[in-house]
Amino acid sequence: MSKPESNNHIAVKAEKLTRRFGDFTAVNSIDLQVQKGEIFGFLGANGAGKTTAIRMLCGLLRPSEGEAWIEGLPVSKSAEKIKRRIGYMSQKFSLYNDLKVWENLEFYGGIYGLSKSEIESASDIMLARLQLAEYRNTMTVELPLGFKQRLALGCAIPHNPGIILLDEPTSGVDPIARRKFWDLIYELAESGTTIFVTTHYMDEAEYCSRVSIMVHGKIVALDTPRELKKQQKVTTMQDVFLKLVES
Amino acid sequence: MQIIRYLVIKEFRQIFRDHMMARIIILIPFVQLLILGYAVNTDLKNVKTAIVDQDHTPQSRQLIKSMYASDLFLPAKSDVTPDNLEDRLGSDQVDLILWIPRGYAEAQSRHQSAQVGVFLDGRNSSIAGRAGGYTLGILRQENQRLLENSTLNASAFSLPIGRITATTRFFYNPDLTSRDYMIPGIVALIVTIITAFLTGMAVVKEKEVGTLEQLMVTPITPLQLIAGKTIPFLILGMIELTFATLFAVLYFKLPFTGSILLLFLGALLYIMVTLSVGVFASAVSRTQQQAMFTVWFFLVYGILTSGFFYPLENMPAFVQYLTYINPLRYFLPILRGLFLKGVGFFDIWDEYAALLTLGILFFSAAVIRFKKTVE
Repeated sequence: MSKPESNNHIAVKAEKLTRRFGDFTAVNSIDLQVQKGEIFGFLGANGAGKTTAIRMLCGLLRPSEGEAWIEGLPVSKSAEKIKRRIGYMSQKFSLYNDLKVWENLEFYGGIYGLSKSEIESASDIMLARLQLAEYRNTMTVELPLGFKQRLALGCAIPHNPGIILLDEPTSGVDPIARRKFWDLIYELAESGTTIFVTTHYMDEAEYCSRVSIMVHGKIVALDTPRELKKQQKVTTMQDVFLKLVES
Repeated sequence: MQIIRYLVIKEFRQIFRDHMMARIIILIPFVQLLILGYAVNTDLKNVKTAIVDQDHTPQSRQLIKSMYASDLFLPAKSDVTPDNLEDRLGSDQVDLILWIPRGYAEAQSRHQSAQVGVFLDGRNSSIAGRAGGYTLGILRQENQRLLENSTLNASAFSLPIGRITATTRFFYNPDLTSRDYMIPGIVALIVTIITAFLTGMAVVKEKEVGTLEQLMVTPITPLQLIAGKTIPFLILGMIELTFATLFAVLYFKLPFTGSILLLFLGALLYIMVTLSVGVFASAVSRTQQQAMFTVWFFLVYGILTSGFFYPLENMPAFVQYLTYINPLRYFLPILRGLFLKGVGFFDIWDEYAALLTLGILFFSAAVIRFKKTVE
């Protein structure tokens, strides 16, 4: 009886998750478990297979082998149910540049099945939260990159999902914009949302409850930042990363 | 339903936010009809005609007068003699030469066959064929006139004559203006372009930008997505059809003699096929250019095997089979029938049935291929 109970605490799980493209193995039999409410950092160099892995977790890509579970539901069989439980923000910030800020929010709210009044109140709250209230009527294309990232996050979660998967949400923006974005992530985590975030910024790794480090498609380390630093006998995540990648 | 509504609203916002796009959509029917309405004109007019008269008699001058009586044949500017005849034809200075040799009048007076020569540039077979036909017609009339004037019932020319002469009368397009025949086809083209091209590009654009992947993690189903992407262009296609039809009737004075309801029903079935082509093209393409070329391929095939320019009956058997899966092949007769013939549903119901069948086939293929892409 203890086993299913403990499974209830698991938001994301992967077992022997593998993806091959021809001869190339992008993700090589990874195992991981993310507890509910955690901020899980999914680290790795460019090309380590982070995006491939996260796309399999969302159901966007079929694994060659292995299986992933979202809140106990196998992704391969329950893709439709899973879509309502997760929010996914891709590297590309999938916004409509030729729509205004509020139109993007309205559209994504609408396709998640929110009613008109729900969309209106949710948009106001979201805009305030994202600190984008004054940009409500701005054309999305005119927003600075950091603002676009926040808007993309807002558009990925109008249905208040329990799990948010973020693929390099802060790449290419200045430290202030990154800080602001992480404030949002903390806020969401405090309200009980599980965060699964990929990054190659090692300072961001320090903010996570636990991190995994991926090298050439494999997870080579998985623990709390503090524990990893202790194991590798270094003081920063940067050094942990360099040691693991070079070994 | 709500999801589709939001998709449609979003699509319209994007279409009309792009001012260029909005302008294109409104201008296309007018500009295309104007240009093509005048350009696609296969009527025979102003055939450059030279006459070599070596007879110099009142009879030969009478024949020359008859030739130039209509605006069909215009006197050519260059001099033609029996020696430079081929040269003149080859250099495009004349299209047709009528040679009246010496002895033309004399032969007539002796109740013998008089010979004339007609020379045509066969490189443009359609002009040559028809100009030749008209010339023979004029000679035949001339013959008839001579017979009536003559007390003797004898043949004046080598041309066959008899008591029975066939007169051709064209129904439905009495003046035989090719414009009346072509414009319904252009209306069909405009509808095709708006629906197939824009749908294909709108879907692929989402692939390029990455929003399609975002949509894939939302609860949208592929069918909802297809509906949301095609309904806006169905509406635009219908608006274009209305514009183009009004323009054809009001400006080009085409008689629209059929039922409006049948026009819209036919267009709805036809657009179902073209939208499917757009969706299919977007499913097999990764960029907007690829989608454009895929639709373009369909369009060229569609035009060439539709009977738009060339009658289907003249095509070899295997090409004729190819025409059966061409939606334009059915939509064109519907449009021409409604514009020019005033047909009713029971005259052209098989065209509707064919379009419906094609619509179901194309739509299923597009949905299956599209699902494969997004899953």
